[in-house]
Amino acid sequence: MSEKKPEIPASFENARTKTAGKAAAAPKPLSIRDALYEPPGPKTRKRTAIATGISLSALAVLILLVIRQFYITGQLAPKYWTFFARKTTWKFLGKGLLGTLEAAALAGVLAFVMGFLMMLGRISRRRILRAVGTGIVEFTRGVPTLLFIYFFFLVVPRSGIKLAAIWKIATPVAISAAGVVAEVLRSGVNAVPKGQTEAALSLGMQHGKIFRKIVFPQAFRYITPALIAELVIVVKDTTFSYVVNFPDLMQNAKVLISNYDALVQIYFVTAVVYILINYLLNRISVTVADRTGTTL
Amino acid sequence: MQQEPWTTGESSAPVRQETVREDAPPVIELRNVDKHFGELHVLKNINLSVKRGEVVVIVGPSGSGKSTLCRTINRLETIDSGDIFIEGRHMPEEGKELSALRSEIGMVFQSFNLFAHKTILDNVTIGPVEVLGRKKKEARAEAMELLKRVGVDSQAGKVPAQLSGGQQQRVAIARSLAMHPKAMLFDEPTSALDPEMINEVLDVMTELARQGMTMVIVTHEMNFARRVADRIIFMADGNIVEENTPEEFFMNPRSDRLKDFLESLNRK
Repeated sequence: MSEKKPEIPASFENARTKTAGKAAAAPKPLSIRDALYEPPGPKTRKRTAIATGISLSALAVLILLVIRQFYITGQLAPKYWTFFARKTTWKFLGKGLLGTLEAAALAGVLAFVMGFLMMLGRISRRRILRAVGTGIVEFTRGVPTLLFIYFFFLVVPRSGIKLAAIWKIATPVAISAAGVVAEVLRSGVNAVPKGQTEAALSLGMQHGKIFRKIVFPQAFRYITPALIAELVIVVKDTTFSYVVNFPDLMQNAKVLISNYDALVQIYFVTAVVYILINYLLNRISVTVADRTGTTL
Repeated sequence: MQQEPWTTGESSAPVRQETVREDAPPVIELRNVDKHFGELHVLKNINLSVKRGEVVVIVGPSGSGKSTLCRTINRLETIDSGDIFIEGRHMPEEGKELSALRSEIGMVFQSFNLFAHKTILDNVTIGPVEVLGRKKKEARAEAMELLKRVGVDSQAGKVPAQLSGGQQQRVAIARSLAMHPKAMLFDEPTSALDPEMINEVLDVMTELARQGMTMVIVTHEMNFARRVADRIIFMADGNIVEENTPEEFFMNPRSDRLKDFLESLNRK
């Protein structure tokens, strides 16, 4: 009997000193490429270098060919470019950019709210709500954005509802994105380990509170990058603004084109602006992903 | 505020002092509990009663239903039939009353399940604040006391991922204790730990047992079981095959199943 008596530590202090300072430092997040592929060997590196060289030269040749073609057809003539030196040109494009950002922001918020509600339906414990949620999600994902826009431009006004132009573009774009947002949110919620819910249940928390305090905050961190990627699509969808006569970047670019008769040049500049916006959004998404990688 | 015995930190008595209350009604009682996982009959007419202050350890081969039984006590697992009572009160299948009874039973999981997005301190205060409606400041003060008790108060501002497994599990114990539970369930609390971290968790549990906490522990740590248990239960194929005091359990196993099980442990 006596040999079974354990030596009892004087207090928990023992446990403390044993692992003091032994806490694992937060590991540097591994990039997807590092995690999935083995690092290239010398032969692969050589082959990669050759392929890179060939494709870069090919790209350079292609660009030169395009410029040459523009030169031959006279697109590089000064009259097609000098108006970019005018302040009014940029002011007008800037107004359009503001319109794009406004419409995209409004559509983004609407899409998130609608997507969130649809997700709640999808994950509901009631079968009817689940079925309704699934139906709406499939509907909004399946119908082309332009169809929703025509609906808001042509059908809705006929029923006597007067909407400002920005709502006519932001609402249909948002509806179109909401289904995807709902599915992204749902995947995030499903990715939260079940143990998190079980621990909260064992503390006596109820389902609604668990979702608000434990599950959703974690899910949101997982999916922030995917949500921002969806915002890029929303930004691009707002180029349909010309349908409803909302002055976004694309619409104003069209006006400039008809004024200066410089289609290639103005679309080129407009494209660069869109690329910059979306590049910026992607940078934000990468930064957010890196940061949440260390805290979760 | 009433001072609970395990927050006072006195530690001179032997582990198995006379903390078991024979006269009080059982803290946990399971009557005729049955459960299937599809075709598999995982709990077969289980009857279990845990007295106040009693430490019950459940052992058995994997797949015997011991974890399921442990999780059944606070209804994290649904059951097909049978009844569960906490201090004589029937535990309903859902609703506010179920949540209220769950809050009186602490639970420690194999995979810690600390809230990943909250700091260590917030992990310990969230229960008292959100469930018991305690004031944040009060809850924080007590949480720091508990974290000190389990030796991780210096990590209070970190998030769980920054702590070692042993530290995380000790925080999980503190999180449960913050609710002032009537009993605590441990579902293989050291199975996910590196060997050198097992003892720091077992030490905390030993201390709790000595201070009179009612505990149900599923574990593979036989030396620990022998040391802290008032009663050891052997489960196999969804049945409670044998239960006894630690000495009798290890020295005089009655059933062949238990003899085989103990022999397989010795071979390791």
